[in-house]
Formats: sequence, C-alpha cells, structure tokens
Amino acid sequence: MVWEGDRGASGGAEDDLPIFNAENLQSNVKSIYYSRTFLSIIGGVIAGIWGFTGFTGFIFYFLVMAAASFGLATQAKFSVCTYFDSWNRIFLDGIFGGLMSFVLFWTFAYDIVHIF
Amino acid sequence: FLSRGVEFLSPFLPSKGTKRWQRLQIRPLLFFLSQKGLCFGGAAASMAEDLVLDTAIRDWVLVPLSVVMVLIGVLRYFVSKLMRSHQAPDLKVVKEGQVILRARNLRAASGFIPAKSFRSRKTYFTNEENGLLHVPKGQSQNAQAQMFSDPNLAMDMMKKNLSMIIPQTLTFAWVNFFFSGFVAAKIPFPLTQRFRGMLQNGIDLSTVDVSYVSSRSWYFLNLFGLRGLFSLILGEENAMDDTQRMMQMSGFGFDPSRVIA
Repeated sequence: MVWEGDRGASGGAEDDLPIFNAENLQSNVKSIYYSRTFLSIIGGVIAGIWGFTGFTGFIFYFLVMAAASFGLATQAKFSVCTYFDSWNRIFLDGIFGGLMSFVLFWTFAYDIVHIF
Repeated sequence: FLSRGVEFLSPFLPSKGTKRWQRLQIRPLLFFLSQKGLCFGGAAASMAEDLVLDTAIRDWVLVPLSVVMVLIGVLRYFVSKLMRSHQAPDLKVVKEGQVILRARNLRAASGFIPAKSFRSRKTYFTNEENGLLHVPKGQSQNAQAQMFSDPNLAMDMMKKNLSMIIPQTLTFAWVNFFFSGFVAAKIPFPLTQRFRGMLQNGIDLSTVDVSYVSSRSWYFLNLFGLRGLFSLILGEENAMDDTQRMMQMSGFGFDPSRVIA
C-alpha cells in the first residue's frame, strides 16, 4: 500500500559519510508513519473484536508493530543506508504515537462487540 | 438480554392498621444495568462482573461523539486553510534564505570539490568585510525576538492557537452537559483506583469497576486517538499540529514530519 513510496535516500556512495537526500528521506519517514498509524487502527479493531483485555491487548499491539518493522526491513532490503539514516527509523519510530489510536479503536470495538 | 431499568424498592413501610403501604420507587437511573450479582446495598468488594449496557448508549453516545469529533476536526482543517492569510514574501528574507541554502549545500557536498575551491567558497561567505553570512557581533538578532516583533507571525500563531482551543472547549462543554452521569464505555484494560476520580466523574457509585468510564473520558480518548486518523485522512498538514508540538515539548511522542527541519 505504501511500499511503492519508498525512495532511495542516500546517493553517491562516497567514503564514510553518506549524503542524504533530505526530501526523499522525509518522504520515507512519512510513509513509515502512515503505515504504522494505519496498522495500529486496524490492530485496535482486531484486538477489540477478539476480546483481548489487559496486557494481552498491549502485547498484541507490540506484536503488530514488530511485524510492521519486519515488513519494513524486508522492503528496505535489510540495508539501512539505502533508504534511511539509522536503524532507529525502521524499528523504533512512531511506536508510541500509534498507541493512542490503538487504544481508542480497541476500546471502541471491544465495547461494541462485547459489552453492548 | 438487556433488561430494562432498575427499580429500587426502598423499604416499603408496612402499616399499622388500615393504611396502605407505600412503595417508594425511584425512577430508573439513566444507566440501565442488568444485575448479575451486582449488589448495591451491600458494600461487598466488587468482582470483575460484566455489566451489560444498553444499546442506546452505544447508538446515542459513543458513535455520535466520535463522529462529531471527526467532523469538527475536518471542519477546523478547512477553516484554518481558508483563513490562512497569504502574505507576499519579503524579498530580503527570501534572499537570505537562499544564501543559507547555498551555504548548506556547500557544507554537505564539501567532499566533492577540491580543497582550494572549498576554501575560496568558504571565504566568500564568511570573510570579515563583505562576506554574505558574516554578521557583526552585536547585531545578530535573537530569532525569537524577531518572531514576536513581526506582527503577522504573531497573528498567525494566535489564530492557530485559537482555532485549536475553541472547538475543544465547546465540545468539552457539550459533552459535559449532555452526556454526564452514566457509564459510557468499558476500557479493556484494568486501571488502579487512583484513576477513578478522573475517569468516572459523573458516576457516583464507588464499587463499580474503574474500567467503566464516563463519557468525559471517552471524549479524551477520542481527542488523543483521532490524531492518527486525521493524519491519514487529511494529509500531513492538518490542524492537529499544535497537539503534536505540545507532545514534543512534553518529551514523548515523535513527530516524523519534522524530522528534517
């Protein structure tokens, strides 16, 4: 869905310090953000429908985020320099930003299916 | 399986003699509970029993509140887009910006040009008499002072803040007025008792599980959780920027659209 948007960010393979094309890097980071947000919403709805409560739900959220990170790493061909400037972008970025959306949709789906 | 209403029978008074006993009956409370072992009179510690809430709450509280907040967000985005005053850019400011950009490119690409050319370019920018970027010591203005002295910028910031605060305040007042006094939702994870005051403000029972929250907390949950949704449906420049900046300042949360300043 957003995989096609990844653009090569660093060009000119010089000696040590790669140069980053700022615009492409920003676009890649944005696509990561969008995909994580979307996945956290979907994950929230799934967690609510399946009836996860308590810690199980949070564990599910981190599982979904880990799967997203793995997918992103695969898409970036496991070489961080081609698309991003550090591994943190792929793995740690935006995890807690999606948490609130996850909780909102988890509560919503859980209530609709199980309580009401 | 939704049983309607709760009728409290306060102890009816048996009469002496011929007086009819009166049965006091409290009108059904606004939240309709089906009692599965929930005992109001006793003070027994409440287990995690499952309250079953009325479908009407879902239809008329949860969904409308979420829909209203989404619509208000979209409305605010469009209004702020319309109200954005377009000012002609100042020539001097644009020139300075371009010079800075050129210097940045020079710095970034310094590995590609011979050292002599790099040095000559550097001197062009920074030498004392007529270097383009050279600012004598006393004259450089604080960026923040400059920001505040420019009336247009201050006006823009104030407009943005206002467009943020007013819908929030109005919606909060609306929620408090209409949707208070009953259990609105159950959050799926357990919380400690300290959150009870915050989350259950309209509910006056102290034995109900903290997971059952009032609609005010549903409002706050929506407020924070819909930011992600807005960024998906409105594109990256949306009116929730202030919240993101607020969260950045408070330390957590990562704003990815401002990675490269």
